[in-house]
Amino acid sequence: MRLRTIALVAGALGIVVLAAGLVADAYRPERTVTPDVAVDSTVVVIEPEVMALAPEGRVGVSGSGAIEAHIARPVDAKAWLGDVSATYVTGLSDWESLTTRSADRVVASPSPTASPSASPSASPSPSPSPSAEAEAADGPEFEEPAFMTASRDHWRETWRGTDRISVRTIDVPAGLPLIVTSTTGAPLTQADLQIDRDVNDGWINPLIWWGAVLTAVGLVALVFFIVDLRPVQARIEESMARLRRRRAAGAPPSPNSRRSRRSVSAGQAGADDSGAPEGDDDQTDTDDTDDHDEQERS
Amino acid sequence: MRGRLALATGVAAAALTLSACTPELPTTPPASSPQQPSALLEEQAARVIDETFAQLEAADSARDPDLLGNRIGGDAARVRAAQYLRAEDDGPSPSELPSSMQAIYVTDVESWPRIMVGVSDAPEESTPVVGLWVQEDVSRPYQLRGWAPMLPGATLPAMPSTSTGASQLLLTDDSVEPSPRQALDDYLELLRQGSDSDLSDRFDDDIYRDRLFSARETLTEAADDADGDYIDTIQPRIEGTFALSTADGGALIFAPVTIASSFSVEDATVSVPSADRPLVDGDLDDKVTHHYRDLVVIFVPGPEAEGRPAVVAADHHLVRVSDS
Repeated sequence: MRLRTIALVAGALGIVVLAAGLVADAYRPERTVTPDVAVDSTVVVIEPEVMALAPEGRVGVSGSGAIEAHIARPVDAKAWLGDVSATYVTGLSDWESLTTRSADRVVASPSPTASPSASPSASPSPSPSPSAEAEAADGPEFEEPAFMTASRDHWRETWRGTDRISVRTIDVPAGLPLIVTSTTGAPLTQADLQIDRDVNDGWINPLIWWGAVLTAVGLVALVFFIVDLRPVQARIEESMARLRRRRAAGAPPSPNSRRSRRSVSAGQAGADDSGAPEGDDDQTDTDDTDDHDEQERS
Repeated sequence: MRGRLALATGVAAAALTLSACTPELPTTPPASSPQQPSALLEEQAARVIDETFAQLEAADSARDPDLLGNRIGGDAARVRAAQYLRAEDDGPSPSELPSSMQAIYVTDVESWPRIMVGVSDAPEESTPVVGLWVQEDVSRPYQLRGWAPMLPGATLPAMPSTSTGASQLLLTDDSVEPSPRQALDDYLELLRQGSDSDLSDRFDDDIYRDRLFSARETLTEAADDADGDYIDTIQPRIEGTFALSTADGGALIFAPVTIASSFSVEDATVSVPSADRPLVDGDLDDKVTHHYRDLVVIFVPGPEAEGRPAVVAADHHLVRVSDS
């Protein structure tokens, strides 16, 4: 009775544990996450410390049109970035977003030159200029960034893409920043970092298995609780008692029982002893001993 | 009722345990220094060299100095333009500059200007050519500024690899003896004083100064015969002079040198060889000056090494002939 109660309690506990395990399995945190951030500049810099957060991940930057990603020596990158406005990806704010900082360079717009050129350009050029509607249909036009005409000698390696570029962090040597540029002048719109993380979920599968085992134990106990097994138990106990009594009284073995068959075969073996091969001596002796014991018992 | 309670308990337990499941945000590790500190890796240097020789080939084909693009500048552009002029009317062909390199020297310097040096394969019946590229700042490309063939028998020292890069020495760096500036000043003073100078003992013999002294002796005698003078004015161009550290701690100095050789006579008119006439600026009378833009490469051995400083590459490039 006490055992069955304990088993039922274990079963109830197993259901709780199993449910907890299954819910945990359903809401198990992703091993790979991709935090991102919206940006709005033609140059995005992913610092080497940020790429070190995802040693087996990827860095992606999205935009519109042709995009290039470069790596350079930190000192060369710093010198190059001294003349451009850029967004720097500096780290993680949480598992879903990145942190950034901006460095804007103020460039004086070309002042209108007051050149007294009085040359009357009376050229009635009927060149068809594109209408405003056509420009609107093609989308906004951007000027090619000035850095596109500057030297590219300091770039150690360059990747090219359209609308999006994705670079494996393992392809960027440690300590070097990744500099992503829009070659058309259209601002880049998003930066993301794919990170493989270590999720502490090693306990979920054992929890499910233990829950299942305990639940099974509880189910068995529940079956015993519902079905009345006392008549069967009484019959078994009665059979056992009868068997004990028979042995105590030295009753011959029942016909066709195992003991009776061994007795018969032992008698035959004693008659064939003279013709037995030498290699079987030990086995024969053993059988003899057994037979002798059996005979003594009977 | 009991099942609902168990399920609710399970969900609550899972929610609590899941909060411990999500790892903490990692902190950004400190920045590591790059493993290859040189200013240019081999691929970058090859890109610079390829673009340089593409522009040079286009300009050479047309004998047009305007086609020398942004990869060729300074003395190199000026010398090449003068060679195109001299090559007109069956004059001497521009000097051969092989585009294939057997060695490239780069620096690990983090400031500008910085240099790259290429040692070409040997052209037929000549010696390898040492080319000097200079980058003034990060926004401007490496530019071929000068070249000089190695002197016969000269040997360039072992240099650091392109992945580590050589240190770009200050001209006053006293880790080598003599300092780059001192070695250059001594050598130019030797050129001024001539073969009898006491400074000749401080340098290994070289064919560059032998030719200069030989020409000076001949032209001085000719000027004396005409009651005139012959004067070599030799000046360094320090702003364009660079020094790289060698593997043995010595220095390899790349020094552009300006030489003006003035020849004058009394009561007569000077003339110049026909090959030099396209470079004449003005009307020649009793005086003519040949202007040269040379590149001299001097090797100063390291402190533990034996030997004297030596000129390993040099060339005498005529760029202009003036009447004064």
